[in-house]
Amino acid sequence: MLRIEGLTKSFGKAGVHQVSLGLGRGQILALLGASGSGKTTLLNLVAGLLLPDSGRIFLDGEDVTNLPPERRGLAYVFQDHALWPHLTVLEHLLLVMKEPRKEEALALLERVGLLGLERRRPHQLSGGQKQRVALARALAARPRLLLLDEPYSALDPVLREELRLEVASLLRAEGVGALHVTHDPDEALAVADRVAVLEGGRIVQEGLPAEVYARPNSLAAARAFGRLNLLPVEVRGGQVGWDGVVWPVEGVQEGPGFLAFRYEELVPSPAGLLARVEASYDGRGERLCRVRLGWGEAVVKLEALPGQEVRLAPVGLLRVFPR
Amino acid sequence: MAAPFWWLLWLGVASPLLVLAARGLGNLSLVPKVLDLAGASLALALAGSLLCLLVGGGLAWLAFRARLHPGWDVLLLSAYLVPPFVGALGFLYALQMLGLRPYGVGGILLAWTAHYAPMAYLLLRPALEHRLAPLLLACEAHGVRGGRRLRALLPPVLPALVAAFGALYLTLLGNFGVPAVLGLPAQVYTLPTLAYSRLFSPASPDPLGEAAAVGLLLGLLALPAVLLHSAPVGEPALRPLRPRWPWAARLGFLLFALLGVGLPLVGLLQRALFNTFSGAFEPAFSAALALPLVRQGLLNSVGLALLATGLLLMLGLLLAPWPEAARRLRRLLDLHYLLPGTLLAIGLILVFAPTPIYATPWLLLLAYLLNFAALMLRAVEVGLEGGVERLVGVGRLFGLGPRRAWFRIGYPLLWPYLAAGVFLVMPLALAELTLSALLYAPGAETLGVAVLSALNGGLFREAAAIGLLLMAFSLLLLLLPRRGVVA
Repeated sequence: MLRIEGLTKSFGKAGVHQVSLGLGRGQILALLGASGSGKTTLLNLVAGLLLPDSGRIFLDGEDVTNLPPERRGLAYVFQDHALWPHLTVLEHLLLVMKEPRKEEALALLERVGLLGLERRRPHQLSGGQKQRVALARALAARPRLLLLDEPYSALDPVLREELRLEVASLLRAEGVGALHVTHDPDEALAVADRVAVLEGGRIVQEGLPAEVYARPNSLAAARAFGRLNLLPVEVRGGQVGWDGVVWPVEGVQEGPGFLAFRYEELVPSPAGLLARVEASYDGRGERLCRVRLGWGEAVVKLEALPGQEVRLAPVGLLRVFPR
Repeated sequence: MAAPFWWLLWLGVASPLLVLAARGLGNLSLVPKVLDLAGASLALALAGSLLCLLVGGGLAWLAFRARLHPGWDVLLLSAYLVPPFVGALGFLYALQMLGLRPYGVGGILLAWTAHYAPMAYLLLRPALEHRLAPLLLACEAHGVRGGRRLRALLPPVLPALVAAFGALYLTLLGNFGVPAVLGLPAQVYTLPTLAYSRLFSPASPDPLGEAAAVGLLLGLLALPAVLLHSAPVGEPALRPLRPRWPWAARLGFLLFALLGVGLPLVGLLQRALFNTFSGAFEPAFSAALALPLVRQGLLNSVGLALLATGLLLMLGLLLAPWPEAARRLRRLLDLHYLLPGTLLAIGLILVFAPTPIYATPWLLLLAYLLNFAALMLRAVEVGLEGGVERLVGVGRLFGLGPRRAWFRIGYPLLWPYLAAGVFLVMPLALAELTLSALLYAPGAETLGVAVLSALNGGLFREAAAIGLLLMAFSLLLLLLPRRGVVA
């Protein structure tokens, strides 16, 4: 339903270059990337708040590249909500509905848990309630595509996790597709059908969330999900080695590079590389250890105590990215 | 919009100044004769600006350190809202009451400081809160004191101090009312009062040409400060700083209000209410209102103020949906807001003398519109940039047409800012003197002109009575809500 072809916009440091994307009906695509990678610029181009230098945008097969925002049939959930301070919750919904019907608006408010607050104005609402109003407004507009720009970043962790799951299921129930900008990998993993990682205004990898997490094709894609160790290594004949232990790797096959692996990708193994536990701490529901390996220090998901020595080996093929 | 359109508009708006420059250049022979006077005018404006900056900046610093509640601002605002020439009139009478000689440099500086130190305060307090609060917090947390603290705090506020000084200098250099009341009777001239007296001098062979030459000089002295002028700062967030010397700030504010408003008020009251010779209670209001000039002035001033404000309000409403055009037009009209009104008035005389609108209230209306338009557009701009423009854009994104987006979102949100613009322009127009003193004609007098001629005609009690009315009206504005727009 959304197709982007070769979209380019020079825009200071946060421009986008030759971006092409596709999104099916009712799908949620997460745009992941560091700040300044062009995520919000891409969103604003799709919204029509910015016009591209080149490239095309299609919605349901219709070329909307040069249409003004109001003719694109979109809705936008902003990071700072962008609610209208002088309107009540109910008026927010009625104003954007194509055929304003109070019962329908109230039903929608009930679905997002705002029933009873319909007469309040934004300054009388909490952060989470404001976010729900922004969301209800977006749904009330019955958009062809929903744009979300870090919608939960201002909320507390519990509310954030609660709301993102609710919203994802709501969108799926309505069959509304969404482009969801975030820099929070957990959010991308939790809500998205597909993930696109942006770096320097270019899409470096696109695919299923679990796939991009497990098999990043670049340093930028690997970094986007966090929980990453990077150790400087020399690759010889497709292997890295230390103290007589060798691990075959993919990626760089010869010369210097960064060995990249996530916290859970090294496990205890009798034939593994000797590592010394420097410190250990509780992560969220798991034990994490900072260990000294041959090439340097790394964080590993491991039940061990400081001072202990363990032998570690990779669970699969580790990747080496060019230095 | 097309560039030629803007060029034509610029030419039209700037034409009074261009014509004035041309005419002034033809009368340069006058310049050497008034050069020492220009120097004195410059020195007076510089001294006044420094004084206002010291007093207003000092109060801003005290209030900043004391975390003084914004409610206290009313005390300073009250002095700022009283029209400067009315304040000057009050000081004149009050100082005479005390047996002091009010005319001359001392009286002018006193009246200026009373009126414009609050302007320095209004310009500097937000800058202190914005720039200094986090830095002061860091100084306190890290134990930085004395000279090292000054080194950490002064450079960041220096641009704000320079900008405030520039704004004060421009205002004082162009101020006509105070030196007209406290300088002219003692033959102490500033450039605006000199231009005025040259224009009405019966001895001069070419009064208009001489006034234009003085105007040109005034413009040259004002120009560097126009370049210093900076955009207004928004409303600051209060920081959790510990209050220091709260009593000093409160005392400072109270003393200022007593001196800046109380003293002239007493002077005006004493003159207006009591017979000068017998000392009996004998209010002069009915006598003042019976003067034909006052009636005419009241009618013209109220009419012009309402009409000018209404037209500018409409301009604001019309231009709001085109923020870029509004900004461009504002920058253009800043010319007449920032440069001394004397230049505009003489320029308008030169341009319109051959036309039928010369010597009618319509020329005054045009002058008011040109002078105050930038203020109204600034108010609109503050609103647009304060979020209104974006929230309208959000409405458009959700599929609202331009008309619906503006009527349901834009205008309701812009309303407080437009109201602020109205409350800025209306009192200025009502008590206007700089323009009307030069542009008035029989039948086209204003209240300000009526006060001035009552004063010149020896009708001191009547002048005091009208002054009191203007003061009362100005202070009524304190009751109205203000928002976002400063100075």
